[in-house]
Amino acid sequence: MDMNTKKLKKNAFRVTKVRGVTASRIRVPGGHMDAKYLSQIQKIAETYGNGTVHITNRQGFEVPGIRFEDMPKVNEMLQPIIEGLEINQVEPNTGYPASGTRNVIGCIGNRVCPFACYDTTALAQRIEKEIFPNDLHFKVAVTGCPNDCAKVRMHDFGIMGMALPMFEPERCISCGACVRACKKKSTEALKPVNFRPQRDADKCIGCGECVLNCPTSAWTRDTKKYFRLTLMGRSGKKNPRLGEDFIKWVDADSIVKIIKNTYDYVKEYIDKDAPGGKEHIGYIIDRTGFEEFKKWALKDVELPECAQVSTPVYWKGIKY
Amino acid sequence: MNKNEYIPFLSEIKEVIKHTDIEYTFRMEYNGEQKVKPGQFFEVSIPKFGEAPISVSGIGEGFIDLTIRRVGKVTNEVFERYVGDTLFLRGPYGNGFDVEDYKGKEVVVVAGGTGVSPVRGIIEHFSHNPQDAKGMTLIAGFKSKNDILFKEDLKQWDETMNLILTLDSNGGDTSYKEGLVTAYIPTLELQDVSTAVAIVVGPPAMMRFSVMALLERGFKEENIWISHERKMCCGLGKCGHCRINDSYVCIDGPVYNYTVGSQLFD
Amino acid sequence: MGYQMDKQAINRCFSELSKEYIIYAPKCYEGKGAFSDTDLIRYGEVTTVDEIEFREKSRFSFKEILLPISQTLFYFTENEVKEADGPKKSAIVFLRSCDLHAVKRLDAVYLNNAFEDYYYKRIREKVHFVLMGCKESFDSCFCVDMGTNRSENYDMAMEERDGMFYVDVKEERFKEVFASQAIKEEEVEVSYVTETKTKVHIPEDLTSAVAKSTMWDEYDSRCIACGRCNFSCPTCTCFTMQDIFYTDNGKVGERRRVQASCMVDGFTDVAGGGSYRQKKGQRMRFKVLHKALDFKKRNGYQMCVGCGRCDDVCPEYISFSHCLNRLEEGMKEVSDNE
Repeated sequence: MDMNTKKLKKNAFRVTKVRGVTASRIRVPGGHMDAKYLSQIQKIAETYGNGTVHITNRQGFEVPGIRFEDMPKVNEMLQPIIEGLEINQVEPNTGYPASGTRNVIGCIGNRVCPFACYDTTALAQRIEKEIFPNDLHFKVAVTGCPNDCAKVRMHDFGIMGMALPMFEPERCISCGACVRACKKKSTEALKPVNFRPQRDADKCIGCGECVLNCPTSAWTRDTKKYFRLTLMGRSGKKNPRLGEDFIKWVDADSIVKIIKNTYDYVKEYIDKDAPGGKEHIGYIIDRTGFEEFKKWALKDVELPECAQVSTPVYWKGIKY
Repeated sequence: MNKNEYIPFLSEIKEVIKHTDIEYTFRMEYNGEQKVKPGQFFEVSIPKFGEAPISVSGIGEGFIDLTIRRVGKVTNEVFERYVGDTLFLRGPYGNGFDVEDYKGKEVVVVAGGTGVSPVRGIIEHFSHNPQDAKGMTLIAGFKSKNDILFKEDLKQWDETMNLILTLDSNGGDTSYKEGLVTAYIPTLELQDVSTAVAIVVGPPAMMRFSVMALLERGFKEENIWISHERKMCCGLGKCGHCRINDSYVCIDGPVYNYTVGSQLFD
Repeated sequence: MGYQMDKQAINRCFSELSKEYIIYAPKCYEGKGAFSDTDLIRYGEVTTVDEIEFREKSRFSFKEILLPISQTLFYFTENEVKEADGPKKSAIVFLRSCDLHAVKRLDAVYLNNAFEDYYYKRIREKVHFVLMGCKESFDSCFCVDMGTNRSENYDMAMEERDGMFYVDVKEERFKEVFASQAIKEEEVEVSYVTETKTKVHIPEDLTSAVAKSTMWDEYDSRCIACGRCNFSCPTCTCFTMQDIFYTDNGKVGERRRVQASCMVDGFTDVAGGGSYRQKKGQRMRFKVLHKALDFKKRNGYQMCVGCGRCDDVCPEYISFSHCLNRLEEGMKEVSDNE
């Protein structure tokens, strides 16, 4: 049996432990899609797979038990899903054009969750559109608020929604709900001064608890969307670690630009001998130094005035 | 335009009488048109610190007495003021006690702690005019020797009426009676309990048990008066903090005949 | 007198009225809802009819105009006080029938009840009301059962039908403005609802004895004492006084009053640490019986106007109307126990 595994992998199939048998990996940006695609996935699994479906860690589906020779058929059956989810494709009916840049993960976001500061699904889809297809190993995750249910700090780029709280003093009745919520559930960024809450902007993480808990709408959200961008979290064998803060109060446009800039940076500095051409970006930054990364990442980025850039960034994590 | 009741007037401290470490009587200048009755209260304030409702403990020519317990932001600050200094006042508010309700009758006053303040005017009246009542008994209870208020008055009252002064704990000083005020109610000697009147003022639990004891002793509900303490924030029947059922303590009270007071339920 | 006019004409009336009056109406504040990407409907100043939110119910009521959430009473130095200025301009307030009935409740407390409130009165005297017609009720409304679905005592009434505006003007001073812009004069009656989805029955024999019912206990754990029900209620009138000193000059400051809630901790705290109704179920009982019993005892009519806002805003899905409907069972329980 002859099979170019490099091409197979790039086509979003997997080399499995059973010879001649593969698995198809279906990406679902933001982990949200119309329910109708489930029946198509079911059809693929029952026609060419072993009748089972795995829900992946990155919010996609994996259909195992597909024979190598059925891959073209599977790719044809994937077409309505790829089109329906608006995945960038090179040629119709050939399946996914790349697999290096992974599916963009998103928590349920503000279509459902009261805590979320924005529509995570929409942002995940937007980023997917901008960065896929690409063979470089990039992991991006978005989450609605600093609760970080999507565990974005485990990713190369973690995007956390932030609400910039706006205060109308004349609507405040000094009930203390915001101060209590901030203290018990968040970072104690509020304290009462002269019967009204005073916000410590440095401590505030934009979780929105003050807004959610205010009974008179004295606290509201700035209608502009802000995010915290965390960098280079990862699991893996060598040095697993949580992503560290890069920019606080950054806007979505800047984030997209920074991620795209990072592709240029990685192309420049990736270890040419990396096994499978795959190296976590974090290791590259460890090698070039953070300042070099920052120079590339922020190229032509116009950050909003309120953005706070952490520099330099140090990572901790587990070292063996 | 109507009168702006929220604007306080300045009043000079004429005299400070220290009862205990945390309870002083401030004799305040008062020349208001409105006649003040015992059991009424004033809103005492110091700008920056806020207002506190304080019941009138004495009424005289050109002055009122306010007995203040140092327990909060405002009262702490009041204690920093001396004779010649000024405080802001508004009032008097509330209904107060009406001496007429008790004239010609056997009167029993049961008062606990600062509860003596609102009834002091009534006690004083019958102390100075013993002929106005058929009999006068005061059961006054304090926590300990150090908590006794109006010591000078008590000396005088001991001569003009049947005074039962009792302490929760006399700390071994047997010159003081020991026990709760309620202990002295069952053995009250009265000519005719069915016409005797009683006034009960003090902490909520003390009032509840005292009234129970009075009823058991044979007092009629309509012959008992109580005074409620609530958070009287505006004194004007507006702010709602002191409301109990359909009654505003600041305008309908704080003094209630028990037939009404017993129906109030928070 | 009734008038029919198009939007441009109405807006010309608005700009004429704006010279002398501030026009307040329910308004949509985009993105200002507590949840992200949601809107907030509350009262605000408008200068055109387009800004008025006619379709949705406002989360907060008009009462913020008569009883500002935070209102400075006077400024002080150590030995002097200076009364805060009242509003210079008069106001026109758009509201629905339930809310217009609520005005009567506010008046009962603030113009009567032993004292006339100086600050309330000086605003109240300058306010005129425009009734907004209700073509249909919202899910949580129960105005019909509270008898507040119709109002006659308005200065003006207004309604939009198929892009045209219909205005009934009762107050003389406004007639000229509208007459000059009207396409035609005609009899105008604005819509009112005659049936609501939510129905409420308050038992005739309700007494405060129901306080002893176990019906209140479930609220001990359900209620979070946030006060949203009170702050959104058009008939809740409680406030707390605050003394503020200006931080850059500690000797001067102001005394203000801010809206208060009988559901929030601290409402009954007295000096020295005492407080009443510590259990949230008992606070619920206090509030519900005020709206459905105690106020009526004092004033002869129910306090609650059935606007349903408290139901809409409770984050714990505690329904006030549902609670009212449980009173009958509660009365049965306490009379069985006697």
